[in-house]
Amino acid sequence: MTDVKSEKSSHTASGWSRRSVLKATSAGAVGAAATPLFYTQNAWAEDAIGNYPVKGSEVVLGFNVPQTGAYADEGADELRAYKLAVKHLNNGGGMLDTLKPSKLTGNGILGKKVTYVTGDTQTNADASRTSARRMIERDKVIMVTGGSSSGIAIAQQYLCNELGIIFMCGLTHSNDTTGKDKQRYGFRHFFNAHMTGKALSPVLSKEYGKDRRAFHLTADYSWGHTQQQSMQEFTEKEGWSTEGNIMTPLKTTDFSQYLSQVLNSDADVLVLNHYGANMVNSLTNAVNFGMRDMQKNGKNLEIVVPLYSRLMAKGAGSTNIDGVLGTSGWNWALEDEGSKVFVKTFTDEYGFPPSQAAHTCYVQTLLYANACEMAGTFYPPEVIKALEDFKFTGAGNGDTLYRGADHQCIKDILVMQGNSPSARTSDFDYLKIVDQVDAKTVDYDPAIFGGELGPYVPA
Amino acid sequence: MHNQQSFWQLNKAVVLFALVALTMPLWFPLINGYSGLDTKIMIFCIFLVGFDILLGFTGYLSFGHAAFFGIAAYSTGLMLKNFSDNIIPAIIVAVIAATLVAIVIGLLTLKRTGIYFSILTLAFAEMFHSMAMAMLQTWTGGENGLTGMPTPMLFDIKMQGSAVFYFTAIMAIILFYVAKRIERSPVGLMMKAIKCNQTRLEYTGINARKYKLLAFVISAMYAAVAGALMVVYEPFVGHEFLGWHQSGEVVIMSVIGGVGTLVGPMIGAAFMLYFENVLSVDLGEQWLLVLGLIFMFVVIFMPGGFMEAVDRIKKRFITTADSE
Amino acid sequence: MDMTLNAFTLYILTGLQLGSIFVLIALGLTLIFGTLGVVNFAHGALYLIAIYLAVSINNALGFGLALILVPPILFVFGVLMERGLIQRFYDREHTDQILVTFGLAIVLQELLKWVFGANNIPFAIPSWGNGILMLHDYLPFLEGFVVYPKWRLILVVVSIVTVAAVFALLHLTRFGLVIRAGMRDAEMMQFLGVNINRRFMIVFGLGSMIAGIAGVFGGPVTQVSPEVGMHLLVPSFLVVVIGGMGSLGGAVIAGILIGMAQSFTAPYINLNTVIIYLITVVILLVRPRGLLGAKGVFE
Repeated sequence: MTDVKSEKSSHTASGWSRRSVLKATSAGAVGAAATPLFYTQNAWAEDAIGNYPVKGSEVVLGFNVPQTGAYADEGADELRAYKLAVKHLNNGGGMLDTLKPSKLTGNGILGKKVTYVTGDTQTNADASRTSARRMIERDKVIMVTGGSSSGIAIAQQYLCNELGIIFMCGLTHSNDTTGKDKQRYGFRHFFNAHMTGKALSPVLSKEYGKDRRAFHLTADYSWGHTQQQSMQEFTEKEGWSTEGNIMTPLKTTDFSQYLSQVLNSDADVLVLNHYGANMVNSLTNAVNFGMRDMQKNGKNLEIVVPLYSRLMAKGAGSTNIDGVLGTSGWNWALEDEGSKVFVKTFTDEYGFPPSQAAHTCYVQTLLYANACEMAGTFYPPEVIKALEDFKFTGAGNGDTLYRGADHQCIKDILVMQGNSPSARTSDFDYLKIVDQVDAKTVDYDPAIFGGELGPYVPA
Repeated sequence: MHNQQSFWQLNKAVVLFALVALTMPLWFPLINGYSGLDTKIMIFCIFLVGFDILLGFTGYLSFGHAAFFGIAAYSTGLMLKNFSDNIIPAIIVAVIAATLVAIVIGLLTLKRTGIYFSILTLAFAEMFHSMAMAMLQTWTGGENGLTGMPTPMLFDIKMQGSAVFYFTAIMAIILFYVAKRIERSPVGLMMKAIKCNQTRLEYTGINARKYKLLAFVISAMYAAVAGALMVVYEPFVGHEFLGWHQSGEVVIMSVIGGVGTLVGPMIGAAFMLYFENVLSVDLGEQWLLVLGLIFMFVVIFMPGGFMEAVDRIKKRFITTADSE
Repeated sequence: MDMTLNAFTLYILTGLQLGSIFVLIALGLTLIFGTLGVVNFAHGALYLIAIYLAVSINNALGFGLALILVPPILFVFGVLMERGLIQRFYDREHTDQILVTFGLAIVLQELLKWVFGANNIPFAIPSWGNGILMLHDYLPFLEGFVVYPKWRLILVVVSIVTVAAVFALLHLTRFGLVIRAGMRDAEMMQFLGVNINRRFMIVFGLGSMIAGIAGVFGGPVTQVSPEVGMHLLVPSFLVVVIGGMGSLGGAVIAGILIGMAQSFTAPYINLNTVIIYLITVVILLVRPRGLLGAKGVFE
């Protein structure tokens, strides 16, 4: 009996599990026809979850990244990293040599060759879900990963959780992703707003003093809110006061009306809880308003950008970010073995060093593959258990814990500062590392954000 | 005999649509489609058929139908989350909510015509969108969208996979049939008369406003059913459902399909969704560029959309057949 | 709101300069509306071309050359666009016009993204316009220290000059007389033997050129990324409609009104996000054709 026949017959039968029906309705043309049906390596084989069991000699991963819209460049870098990860998984090399402990062999995952499909999230929650569904239902991916904003990550995480597909988040920094919206099938390697606040505030008070008055401009959505709360909480712990906070609509392109408010206040620090185009515009506007050269309360007015990325720094320009402090998850200038080998292989492949988005996506792919090897199966509950509380090193950021309680990686965080135009040597060192804040310092109690992971076997 | 024939003629389009729709799970995978997408296409068919009752019949171009789609989606989501996981009360409440809003907006906006009407509807829809993003984000989830709904149930049937597909397909068939009935009815004729010449219609003593409002509200109800079904199909509501891109997409689908033909807009919807989710993958990063070029090509060379192309081919086929 | 004179001045200035960008973009849009009867959804994309050209020329050759080159290039581009595409659509429905220009907007946006990437390109303010103006030195009623970016004030001045120039062109020249007559009754002008078609082409070029001017001066403010065009599309459309389709004066008043409304509601996010739509709805319900719209245009 061939695969196709069996799927077709299952279609008419009632009382089948939803997943087999899902598969049946979209099977056929995909070309899995020649592969044998049976796969009984493990005892759990009888309960299919998501696209488990994996049929054939290949295993497919789904890379869902922004290809259109404001984050397209970041998405392009993520995709480069994913392709490199696939290459290393199949042929060895890269962080396979540095990740410890690791069961990765360089011979695919569990002996199956790794292939991939790509999709466009359009940085639109609905579009990203439709794209993820295509990967899951038509292309039979065993895992989905990618994305460049929290709303998109959370939307996909819910979908994947529901369909029994593991989702390895790309770049998402909101506390919610592993907080109130955490899911059993979702994992985040990237850090979050809370950790930014914890890491950045001591550096800020050291640089700018303990007696400071901060004014926040905050993008009015979940990430912005959590970033603002965390920054306020931890700067106030350092002795700062908070003069005000204005929520700015996400669609804002000109921030003058909000900056006028800041000028009109007694604040001597401006915290821009903005990301992407919001941050580029608000920072540029603030500089135009003379805020980099202004004095308030007898002190220099300072600007802080809690979350930095290389593309944002480049977009704002080095004159504008010169000296401005913020945080990053990773930077290619790091000197540890894992980072070095990743930067080298990436640069050899593409001609320039990777971004932090590329790093987190690359590591996520390897960690997923390694978890499958450790579990000895693609069966999602076992893979999840292998990832939960997994301690590893050699992937940049020092010793890292994939915390089981909320699926958040606890690792070192970088405090970054904008390089001045004269200090900049290439198109890729807009930011320099000021401090590597220890994982222990940024660690927190996972209970503070609520949320529930849910069951290992989806309902 | 005569009756049977006329039934066939009157309902040819509906029967054909039913055949195409219900067999979709069989043939759609052959062209690289997938089961999540076929359901979404059915949902948009409903949205587009309703939209054509307004745009195609009366000629009123609304840029704000995302409002009804989105309001219904949020209502359904909140009902599923807070009241019951049964979709029937959720859909009913969602349609009622959107209808009430539509009556108010319709009464206000239909006083205006042309671009002024379009912009007014756009402004109302964007107001709802902004409210969902800011003021109401504790309920709507703001940028993250509304999540955390249970699996939607139709009494004892889980609304997932095939069940949700056939449910939406049957809804689409019924609502297409209803739209066809409206088109043939005296009410439908009145609506079409508005498009031809509203002033003349009013001289004959007919209250055109009544029919305009009726068309507006019916189309909003179709949009509401579609919005509610989006949440049944996937228990998630994105704020994008309310945005002007959503309204604009519906207009684009209508025009490239063929305004005023009921079938055309559905083809437009199927084409757009298929392009965006299947063909786009092969085109990679530049898929949106190609889509833009296709819009332009269709509008420049086929003013009546795909339906005009179909008509032209038909005519050519018939004339060559005649000459032989 | 506890409003000091200082705060009030900042609000007013911010409103003026926010309005200035809207006015600059809406001006070209409403000129094209009023004269040619074309709903041009690609106007935001014209602005997009302008800022990419401006930043490229600025970074390579300096701001002066950008200022000299960009508006004429945009004029030529506008003329080509009118000849190649728009003139086929004079007799078509507004939906078709909207869709074809929207399609063009997507194509232009994606082409620019292809060439320049999706990331922002920093557009620095030229040194002579950089820095801040000490308002308290000039306005004696201000207390203490009140400053405003020079460039933003230059932008306001540029808007005023551009608006004045367009008004002068339409009201003081023969060309303007013909155009205004053409706006009233194009057919009659044809009967009188005036080649209105060629003049329409020039008007489209002018509209596009104003987007060019807006791009050169607005680029350092809006910054340069492919999203900018679409972001400005809806608000500038609302400005045109609130002002009354085809009314230049209306567009100016509406632009300033929207700018002021955004400025004064800044501290109240819930009002701030809806204010522009609220104003649109209220004005269109009270005044059917916007503030200064003519009867029978686009109804």
